[in-house]
Amino acid sequence: MTISPDQILLWQWGPLHINATLAYTWLVMLLLTGGSWLITRRLRTGPDISRWQNLLEVLVTGLKDQIRDVSRQDPGQYLPFVGTLFIFIATANLLSLVPGYMPPTGSLSTTTALALCVLTAVPLYGVLHRGPIGYLRRYVQPTPLMLPFNLIGELSRTVALAVRLYGNIMSGTVIVGILISLTPFLFPIVMQLLGLLTGMIQAYIFAVLAMVYIASASSAQKGEP
Amino acid sequence: MQIDWLTVAAQIVNFLVLVWLLKHFLYGPVTAAMARREDRIAERVNSAREREDAAERERERLHERMERLEDRRDAVLEQAREEAESEKQRLLEEARADVDDKREHWRQQLRDEQDAFAKQLRRQTAEGFADLARKALSDLADVRLEDRMVETLGARLVGLAEDEREQFRGAGELVVSTGFELDDERRARLTELVQEHLGDDRQPGFEQDPELVCGIALTAGGRRLAWSLADYLDGFERKLTAHLDHRQRESADTESKTESDAERETAATSS
Repeated sequence: MTISPDQILLWQWGPLHINATLAYTWLVMLLLTGGSWLITRRLRTGPDISRWQNLLEVLVTGLKDQIRDVSRQDPGQYLPFVGTLFIFIATANLLSLVPGYMPPTGSLSTTTALALCVLTAVPLYGVLHRGPIGYLRRYVQPTPLMLPFNLIGELSRTVALAVRLYGNIMSGTVIVGILISLTPFLFPIVMQLLGLLTGMIQAYIFAVLAMVYIASASSAQKGEP
Repeated sequence: MQIDWLTVAAQIVNFLVLVWLLKHFLYGPVTAAMARREDRIAERVNSAREREDAAERERERLHERMERLEDRRDAVLEQAREEAESEKQRLLEEARADVDDKREHWRQQLRDEQDAFAKQLRRQTAEGFADLARKALSDLADVRLEDRMVETLGARLVGLAEDEREQFRGAGELVVSTGFELDDERRARLTELVQEHLGDDRQPGFEQDPELVCGIALTAGGRRLAWSLADYLDGFERKLTAHLDHRQRESADTESKTESDAERETAATSS
């Protein structure tokens, strides 16, 4: 039984290869970019707007509101990164309804890549907002003795991010696969519905946690001397 | 559970590319469109607010103007009302004074006419009485009225008390006045009667007095003894005058009532 789409190789040339994870990721990227381009090429600024434009505006406004609620800051600078995290993961998970499709988020490589992106974004935003010294100082607070624990915390939460998303999505896929072999009717559909809910929740959790980490690095210690 | 680090690297690149793509095809255009719409809405709201302010200012200006016009209209109306009232009072006073003048003139005229009528009546009545008496006496007793008057004076002299006779005697010149022409015979008879009954030897003087009309009088100083139809006529005249006055008062009352009715009617119409 195939657990990860990484194992499905579509093309290989020496050490380079293209697996299902990359292919489905590109599919998701193509859908998102193409859909956005189709809708936003005819944006209207009057009171009458199309349903699709309305959908996008609701999506963007909702993302901004969520980011503003979590970070207590202007959401504009975080929107591309955090918003893309949420939209990509949510779309990748929702497409699991399509037969034959395997969500790239069910691959530990993908979730690790996303977690590494968060791990990198946290210090970048922190340095951008507080300067390198101001950002690095948070690792030795409240006392320099906490430095190793802070570092371990930083790494462990990144691992947790990656494994949490991977585990949830992979387990959903695996459960459905197992259930199909045991009880081909009804049960897999129920579990797939549950998988949809789990996929949306995981996308939300991933994006919100990323935002919390970034916000805590960039502004949570504004009250410090 | 395995990590393909090549896939990890590729996914990192993929994710960053996706961030860039969505930033350019999704967040950027949508955010800009929403910002433009918000700007447009804000612009419309501002424009509407400005128009509302302008309308409010215009409304206040017109309101003030209307209030000024109403105040001015009220003042003009009040002034016109006062002028009309004073003009009405002036005209009423004039009319009242005019009516009073006319009434006084009419009364004076009435009095004059009354006096003239009374005088004429008195004279005509006296003359009528005299003619009547003269004719009656002549027809019944073949006696002249003038002779009866002479004799009447004689009878009065007889009826005088002694002290009255004494007063006549010491009172100066005796004069007999008559309303008619005395002939010598009657003068002699009068002289005789006066001298006999007064015991006075003096010769009385004679004069004709048209005022006596039909009468005869003996005067001496401040004393006077007379008989005249005028005495009867005086009583008749008093009754006649009283009757005329009564009629005049009735007429005046009727006239004043008519005037007051007319004034009330005028006041009701003007108010």
